[in-house]
Parts: sequence; C-alpha cells; structure tokens
Amino acid sequence: MVAALLGPALVLVAAFVVAPVGYALWLSLTNKTLTGFGAQTPKFVGLANYRQLLTSGDFGHSLRLTAEFIVFSAILGQFLLGLLAALLLTQTGIRLKGVFGGAILLPMVVPEVVASLAWASMLAPGTLGTLNRGFATVGVDPVSWLQRYPMAAIIIVNTWRGIAFAMIMFQAAIEGISREVLEAARIDGAGVWQVLRHVTLPLIRGPVFLFLLLTTITTSSVFGLVYFLTQGGPGQQTQVTSIYIYQHSFRFFQLGLGSAASVILLGIVLVLGVTYVRLARVEV
Amino acid sequence: MAVDQHLAASRGSVATPRHRSGRRHRAAGLTRRALTYLVIVVLAVFCVVPFAWVLLGSVDSKAGLYLRAPHLTLHNFLRFFDQPTTPRLLVNSLVLSGGGTVVALFLSMFGGYALSRYRFFGRRTLMFAILLVRVVPPTATIVPLYIIMIDIHLNNTYVGVILVEAAYQIPLLLWLMKGFFDSIPVGLEEAAWIDGCSRVSGVLHVVFPLSRPGIGAGALFAFVNIWGDFLTPLVLLQSPDRYPISIGLFQAFSAFNQVDWGLLTATAVLYMVPTVLLYLFARRYLLQATVTGAIKG
Repeated sequence: MVAALLGPALVLVAAFVVAPVGYALWLSLTNKTLTGFGAQTPKFVGLANYRQLLTSGDFGHSLRLTAEFIVFSAILGQFLLGLLAALLLTQTGIRLKGVFGGAILLPMVVPEVVASLAWASMLAPGTLGTLNRGFATVGVDPVSWLQRYPMAAIIIVNTWRGIAFAMIMFQAAIEGISREVLEAARIDGAGVWQVLRHVTLPLIRGPVFLFLLLTTITTSSVFGLVYFLTQGGPGQQTQVTSIYIYQHSFRFFQLGLGSAASVILLGIVLVLGVTYVRLARVEV
Repeated sequence: MAVDQHLAASRGSVATPRHRSGRRHRAAGLTRRALTYLVIVVLAVFCVVPFAWVLLGSVDSKAGLYLRAPHLTLHNFLRFFDQPTTPRLLVNSLVLSGGGTVVALFLSMFGGYALSRYRFFGRRTLMFAILLVRVVPPTATIVPLYIIMIDIHLNNTYVGVILVEAAYQIPLLLWLMKGFFDSIPVGLEEAAWIDGCSRVSGVLHVVFPLSRPGIGAGALFAFVNIWGDFLTPLVLLQSPDRYPISIGLFQAFSAFNQVDWGLLTATAVLYMVPTVLLYLFARRYLLQATVTGAIKG
C-alpha cells in the first residue's frame, strides 16, 4: 500500500533529481562533450577535469565571486534589512503594516526574470538611468553600473529580492516572543538597542541561524537573476559558479568539466544541507 | 512565573529619574515613531521603485529603457495578443506550469497520505532524505539532467519539462501534504470506514476534502514556482514555439539592436500579474489551512 501511494512521487524525484546527482559524479570523470568525438564515446579521464578546474584559476575565481555574492547579498544585505523590516513591522501601533509588508514582499513574489528586467532600467547607464537620476540629486556623476561595478550591482539586486524571505522568517520568530519579556526589559530601563542585543536576538537565534543556512544554500545557486543582467560579464566579473557551470557546459560544450564543477558546488551545498536538516529538528 | 516576578519588581522601581520627566519621554516616543515610519517607508519604496518603469513602460506608446511619464495607451497589451509569437509564450507557460502543478500535486497527495498515516520501516530517514533533496540546487544537476533527457527522448518536449518541474516541487509538497493530513483526526476516517467506506473512498471523501485549503495553498505555491522558473526551460527546450514567457522575455531583452520596450514591459506585466494575485490570494488561504476550525464547526 505504502509503495503504491508513495512510489510514483519517489520515482519521479529519483529519476530527475537524485539520478542526475549520481550521473554528475560519473560525467565529471569523463571527457564528455556536446559535439565531436566526446559526444558519442566519452572516455574515462579520472580526475583530469578536477585538476583542470583547480589549476585554471577561472573556477577558483567563480567560487570567490560566489562567496562574495553570498556574504554581501545574503548574509549581510538580506539578513540586516530583513531583520530591520521585521523589527519595525512587529512594533505595536504601526499603521498600514499590510501595505508596507506587501511592498517588501513584491520583489520576492515576481518571477526572477521580471525582477532582473526591472533593474535593467534602474541600473541603466547615462544621465537617464533611474539610479543615476537619484544620485544626480546629490551631485554624483552618472555611472555605468553594470560595467563599472557589476558585482555590487547584482549584490544589490539579490539583496533587494531576498529581504522579504528574511522578513517573513524573523517576523514569525519575533511574534513568538512573549510580549511580557520585551516589556520587562523595557521597564528595567533597557534601550531599543539593548533590548535587541540582549533579549530579541538571543531569543530568535534558532530561526536566524536556519535563515542564514537556507539563504546561503539558495544564493549559491542563483542563476537567472544574474544571467539575465550580465550573462557573467563584463569579461568574467560576475561569473559566479552557477554561471560558470552553464557557460562551460552549454556555450563551450565541455559537459565533463561542467559536471565536475557541478559536483564541487553540490558537495558544498550538501554539507550545508545536512547541517540544515539536523538543525531544523522538525517533527516527523 | 519568573517573568511575572520580574515585572512586579520593575514596577516597584518605576520612579527612576528616567521616567520622571513625562514630556521628554513622550517626545522621545514621538521621535521614535517618526523614525520607524521613515525607515519603513524608505524600505518599502526601495522594494517597489524598480517596478515603476516596468508598469509605466507597458502603458507608454513610446516606451524606452528609461523611466519617463508615459504617453498613455493600451496598445502594447493589444500587440502582445496580436503578434504571432507572444501569445504562444503565454500558452506554453500555462501548459508547463499547469501540467507540472497537476502532476506534482496528484503524486504528493497520495504520497503525503502514506507518510502521514502509515508507520513503515525507514519512514523517518525517508522524511529527512526528502528534506535534503530539497536543497539540491537545480544549477548543479542541470548538465546531467540534460543528457538524461536526450537519452530518454524527452529533451525539447512539454512532457519532459513538466516531469522535471513536478519532480522539483514534489519534496516540498510531500512535506506540506503530510502536515495537513496529520492535522485531520484519524477518527473522522474511522467513522467513514464504519459507515461502509473503503480505505480509498475514505481518503477521497473525507481526508482530501477536509484538507482542501492546504491542498489549494500547495497547488498555488507549486504553480508560482514553476511559472517563474528560468533555468529548466532554458536548457531543456530548444524550439522557440515551446518557450515559456521567461525565456521569451530573456530573448527579447537580449536582442541588442532592436528591443521593443513597450511590448517587452507589457509582456513582463502580464507575466508578473498572476503570481502577484495568486500570492495575495494564497496568503489568506494559508491562514485558513488550519483544519481545526472545520472539525470544531
């Protein structure tokens, strides 16, 4: 009975999510390509792909960019702004909470392609780009954001898109704190900052840590948002690992090399994932 | 208790110098309130402003890459439905998201029921394995997946993309469904069995109808996720007549020489409206998901 009910769902997941993981391991040890000799009869090449990845510098560069992307957009940007939004929106007596909450939710709700498109005009070069117009009011000269500061640009875009997820997680956690505890702290004369530092944050430590793990995992594989705006460029300045994998596999047709890069990304994510599953301590 | 004592103790010492001057206190409260509103408004504006150009461009007869006051027109939307290629994008998106949602939901409802009601060997491990599968990033499996799809002749087909998208949504849906079914007392099902229902018709006539809000929320969630996906169709579809809107938008945007900004932004608006609406809808829906009300009522 269990097999009949659960079987089809598990077969689908096994075929299209688990099997590709195993297949990636095998492909990463071959010289499989999309065209030419390697396409029909890929040869076993041992760890040659991994050696190439680790010595070429390009892949290391992409890992560094991914780390930078995660640290600045997810761990700093989304976390701080999401926490700020959650703290403000959980205060008592604030009007229009629904409107403010909905506005912050919008970037997360729209498809990633629309999110990127919206920033194409924001980041547009010349005096007419929206961001440049804003900065012009404080006397800053127009900047070609995606040319001059491509990493900063995609970091801002990804921060913007992820504030809502952090806000939702933290709002739920903060609402779970007993009002009395916060009031007690305030009556004892603790200031806003002290309450946050010594009461609120310690009490939502669990959800905060879970959020940081989850956002690190999802940010490590962000693809469309970046690819739409920069396609990894200019040069390789925004070639984060997910874009490295795509371009080497489907632009340069080096499926073996792309698979090896996939395996390394998977390894990193799965270590984080196992930590997440253990910490989530969900009831089964 | 400890908190109560704490509260009582602090009440005793209210007359500290800090609280003596009421007016200064009220002024500080006002400043704080104003600051709160200021920061929250800035955050909300930051989140919404990038959409201004998309919305205004879609109703502008001479839309460009830059934000400007539009020459109002609905022509861009009419053109979307008039053009030979663009309505096709919408149909494809609906087929792929609708198909993927139906497959994922159908399989997850029965799978979730098994996880909720049967105690079998390895169930706990399986639940955690499903949770772990959720973190496998699609970018890291897309290369082998592409070769698998070629090998089983599902590359560049609707069916292929639908099955893959369903597989991506199933882990989360299994967990969601299991949770909803857990909250329906087995007693209700047993009552149906006593009334002569078989196990299967008990599921169909008692469990599923009672979890309708949860199932609906799960369906909307899966639909929105597949609707917005970019990477899977980008790799697994090669014929332009099968592209969903996400790929169509990307291609139109990347046509460096001649971008039709009015049509592009109108397409983007049509593309984002369903998810925005469904999301508002699902937020309310998720609140109703607690079946306790249905049982008590």
